[in-house]
Amino acid sequence: MIPDGRTPVMVVTGFLGSGKTTLVNHLISRENDSLVIVNELGEVAVDHYLLEATEERAVALPNGCLCCRLRGDLEETLVGAAMRRRRGEIAGFDRVIVETSGIADPGPVAQTLFADQALARDFKLGPIVTVVDAADPGNRKSAWDVARAQIAAADVVVLSKVDRPGARPDEARQEIRSLNATAACLEASFGELDPELLQKSGTDHVFPATAAHGAGIHSFALKFDNPVPQALLERFLGLLVELRGADLLRVKGVVAIEGNERVLVQGVRHVFDRLRRVALPETGLVFVANRVDKAEVQALWQAMSNLKGRQ
Amino acid sequence: MFLNMKLLSHHTLNGFGGMGEGMAMQLAADGRRVLWLAHESAPKNFTAVDVSDPRAPKVIVQTDLPHAQMRSNSLEVAGELMAVAYQVTKFGLKPAGFELFDISVPERPRSISFFDASGPHSRGCHQLWFVDGKTVHMACADPELKPRNRKDDQVYRIVDVSNPAKPHAVGRWHLPGTMDGDDAPPPARLAPKFDAGFRAHNTNVYPERPDRCYLGYLDGGIMVLDISERSRPKLVSRWCNSPPYNGFAHTVLPLFERGLMVVSDESVQDNAADWPKLVWILDARDERHLVSIATLPAPPLDAFRDRGGRFGAHNLHENPPVPGAWKSDKVVVGTFFNGGVRAYDISDPYAPREVAYFVPPTPEGSPVGAVQINDVFIDDRGVVFTVDRHAGGLYALEMNL
Repeated sequence: MIPDGRTPVMVVTGFLGSGKTTLVNHLISRENDSLVIVNELGEVAVDHYLLEATEERAVALPNGCLCCRLRGDLEETLVGAAMRRRRGEIAGFDRVIVETSGIADPGPVAQTLFADQALARDFKLGPIVTVVDAADPGNRKSAWDVARAQIAAADVVVLSKVDRPGARPDEARQEIRSLNATAACLEASFGELDPELLQKSGTDHVFPATAAHGAGIHSFALKFDNPVPQALLERFLGLLVELRGADLLRVKGVVAIEGNERVLVQGVRHVFDRLRRVALPETGLVFVANRVDKAEVQALWQAMSNLKGRQ
Repeated sequence: MFLNMKLLSHHTLNGFGGMGEGMAMQLAADGRRVLWLAHESAPKNFTAVDVSDPRAPKVIVQTDLPHAQMRSNSLEVAGELMAVAYQVTKFGLKPAGFELFDISVPERPRSISFFDASGPHSRGCHQLWFVDGKTVHMACADPELKPRNRKDDQVYRIVDVSNPAKPHAVGRWHLPGTMDGDDAPPPARLAPKFDAGFRAHNTNVYPERPDRCYLGYLDGGIMVLDISERSRPKLVSRWCNSPPYNGFAHTVLPLFERGLMVVSDESVQDNAADWPKLVWILDARDERHLVSIATLPAPPLDAFRDRGGRFGAHNLHENPPVPGAWKSDKVVVGTFFNGGVRAYDISDPYAPREVAYFVPPTPEGSPVGAVQINDVFIDDRGVVFTVDRHAGGLYALEMNL
């Protein structure tokens, strides 16, 4: 097993008022090994520390965590933090939590981590955690496109406020399943959740896909009978991206390739991480996509595979 | 400072936290894991720590040296036997050599025998390797030899301890030209500022190649010795980075299945005055033609140089071939004084990557104003044990890779 010492970047997203901040505050109260990056000042308990140190890019929190306000590019903030950690100018951190603004699509954060090679040396995408308010579906529906994109991109959906009067967790769960059948669904009460569960649900872990047929956005899995040539897999993914990149909300999976190896595939819309060798069980490819038909994707693979076989 | 390493516990060893470069684990008959530690300097000799629960280490015995002009610095454990090196501060002092202990009852180490290497040209034993219960390989003066330069007193020596009550020397090797009577001319010395001597340091012998000793020889570089005839070790090859580097080759860690060797220098001057002191990766597919292919990426010099004390490479976790020790040929873990303990992924030997580190805060009582992480031992649970040279004692760490 090749060790991967890169620091995972957990992306916490969710609609305005869904409970992201409560969840982040809970996560950093459990472990003092996090660098928290927020890109807006909201209700975060750390805000006043940020405000007190406007010249500092990273601020030590009372429990030993660090906090940064994302003032420039994410790349710049992360590379700077890695450099300062290496130089001992800030205390260490073993994970990064990026809390996006309520109306942000988490996709670009993932894309940044895949596409920036300098960044990928020190960081890797951790779980995308989308917080969904079980008590207030109406709020989410007011900007439905953003909310759907957030749910579609998730590795883990945390249902918040499940103990509030009027909470309808089953309904929310059904809504989530219809968009993203691959995500783990956890419940949190006042943000309280075992952080281990989130870590285990990172991108190295791929949940088995159950076909979900929503209107437009849905998920499906593509299985491969035999180990595939890596070059063919790369071309297949490249062609898919060329044809329908904008609609590939999330693609991930572990695929066996020729030579008794397995590779981790991860992509968000047009941007895919390079294929990395992993020692994880094969899962096939899981797609969360918008108006992309499984049969057509399967046919594309079959056609490419057949043509390659006849060379 | 940390990356992928988390502190499980810290123990200052009853206020005697200045530790040398001897760390060995005993899997005791009653199931305990006992970590034996050599002290860097007087008054303490060695300390045993029950680390069965690495979150709650307990000192179970701590012993004193006979006098203050000596130190143990190095020790090794094989089963229920422990060998402890004794080095004196002035030529001719005693005890100089090593002592064997029965540690079957860890709380009561019992001396079995002493191997005397004292003499007018001897400072005794600096370091030893003892993993098979039968043979001690060591960097130690030989009273029969008179070095041309007094800095060159400690040579490679092999001592048979198959009868622990009667250790007896069976072989030795020194760099030709360093002893009176040698045919070879004396070796060219490094500049006075860096001249540390042509002496043996680490003397590793592994079961994969029982006919080879992998020898660090300070300013002489490293040697591969053929020890198939123990009475007459022969030089197979030598790799030396100094000059232009600044000497003090320390440890050779062979990674047999990968055809690699990992070689560490030792930084011996404060404020990195002898920089660069690095860890080198050698292509050792042909043991007669060793080729340097990479160095482990060092922490930034300007950020560490002036933190206090030494900064640069020193000991490695040496994959000791004993029960209870962690072994890896993909991850190299080393100590870097004020740079802490650091782990590197060398799965691509041409492009090593730093994957974990831990730099403790300055320990209370540190005379240099910074931690000086000196040695490391990793057990087969993956717990990283590391020690401070002056005051901090023992740190137990969890490495998450």
